[in-house]
Amino acid sequence: MRRFLSIVKTTALEALSEPLALLLTVSAMTFAALVPAMHYHQFGESSRMARDAGFSALFMFGAAYSIFMTVKGVRREIESGTISMAFAHGVSRRAFFLSKAAGSYAAFLVFAFTLIPLSLTAVNGAEIGGRVAMSTGSVARMWGPSLSIAVAAIVASLFAGAVADRFFRCRFVPSASLCALAISVAGMFYRPDFREIARLAPAFAALLMPPAVFTLVAAASAFRWKANAAAGISVLVFALWLPLLGNYYLSDALSHGGKVSWLYAAASLAALLPLAAAAAIAGIWTLEGKDITGER
Amino acid sequence: MEQSEGVIALKGVSKVFRDFWLRPTVKAVEGLDLSVAKGEVFALLGPNGSGKSTTIKMILGLMAPSGGEVRLFGRKPDSAVARSRLGYLPELSYLHPYLTARETLMYYAGLCNLDRRTAKERTAQLLAMVGLESVAGRPVGGFSKGMARRIALACSLIGKPELLILDEPTSGLDPVSTSEVKSLVKTLSAGGMTILMTSHLLGDAQDVCDRYAILNFGRKVAEGDLKTLGTSLQDVFLSKVGVGRGFDVAGFLK
Repeated sequence: MRRFLSIVKTTALEALSEPLALLLTVSAMTFAALVPAMHYHQFGESSRMARDAGFSALFMFGAAYSIFMTVKGVRREIESGTISMAFAHGVSRRAFFLSKAAGSYAAFLVFAFTLIPLSLTAVNGAEIGGRVAMSTGSVARMWGPSLSIAVAAIVASLFAGAVADRFFRCRFVPSASLCALAISVAGMFYRPDFREIARLAPAFAALLMPPAVFTLVAAASAFRWKANAAAGISVLVFALWLPLLGNYYLSDALSHGGKVSWLYAAASLAALLPLAAAAAIAGIWTLEGKDITGER
Repeated sequence: MEQSEGVIALKGVSKVFRDFWLRPTVKAVEGLDLSVAKGEVFALLGPNGSGKSTTIKMILGLMAPSGGEVRLFGRKPDSAVARSRLGYLPELSYLHPYLTARETLMYYAGLCNLDRRTAKERTAQLLAMVGLESVAGRPVGGFSKGMARRIALACSLIGKPELLILDEPTSGLDPVSTSEVKSLVKTLSAGGMTILMTSHLLGDAQDVCDRYAILNFGRKVAEGDLKTLGTSLQDVFLSKVGVGRGFDVAGFLK
């Protein structure tokens, strides 16, 4: 178990140290906060656009994050040769595959838990702003809270990363990512609406599941093929997923006070488990039969 | 089940690399028999492309042999139990670039299943031993070749292995560091550790090893200690491997 956790932690830390990880996080945050600011799309519901943007950002950027971070992490292990060091220290190939995938998914969870509170703040901000707009007629004030928090989270996290790097010799990218997470979570407590948070929670939980499959597919492909091919195959799997557009179904279900039950999240998990298991078995089988030669 | 056949035993081992269509491309190792006993310092010598690294990778379970049998502590090398008793220093220092020196050692301590307290203690001891205490908080991606070599050496020792496999241990080190590594090998050997090393530097091997095997084109061409092989390792090496014909520069300069 200690070996497993050691690899999970290192993989997550390495993924969070990738500049691409911060870029995707900041892009998703910007998307979630700015898209709802186009206030003329209201669907008769002041917070719907914020909800849609949050779900879309988590689904689309989440897929990109889980695929690219996993492929990068696995290929770096193979191409730099650190995989042979891990095997030489008694790690089994099966444990290595599973712990690499778990580590990449852990990094995705940091991304997701930065984005989800921000989206909840945006939804809440839109509700508050909607009431303000109705009473004052000023739609410009509608997105004030969520926009301010998003901009603060992005600017402050970059600044904190730079300070940590300059004065405390802490790495810029993970420091900035963790700061964005902290500000995003803290921002959620700006006039919180816990009933709304509870209403949206099962939908966000359901959206956390597909990236687990993308992570396993990306890991299995990256152990077999080089980075571009592995990323291409994983993106193809994601593209096959697109017609399902789970984010929009969820958004529809939640419109006009609707609900998504926890049973739906559990059913999603049950439906995804065979796919995840198939990807994991394919990955382990690939790695078990692979000669580790230090390919580049 | 552990047998009394030595720490490492290779019987008729061969390795053939194949292309995408499974056609054989390179015969890297052919009919290799080798045995390393407990407490021995054994050197695997040979020119570039002689099959030394491939042999080590088969011992480590990183590659499956095409034929023959490899045993590590009496088990198949894909056994995690057998591999957990060894330490490995690869020819190139394989490190995670984003991790600091301390995090790197803590990571390998985790892979060796050490508890947190022991891991911290051993990390501090090894950082002091390889002289990298002052840069313990720096990412290893920015280390010089020599510093990376030192931290990789520390990684290979963190689990206090029974068998240490060193692939070109002095590669990239200055003369002072080379002498320190040789002295370390002698000390570890005196403490009962079994060591298998490869080297291009015959003088280094001669200084620290008890027994030698010379490989050429994947085949073992000589094996034994200095007494059985002859007076000088250099002479044996040249007689078995042959003197290089050198570059034909004259034609190029015409």
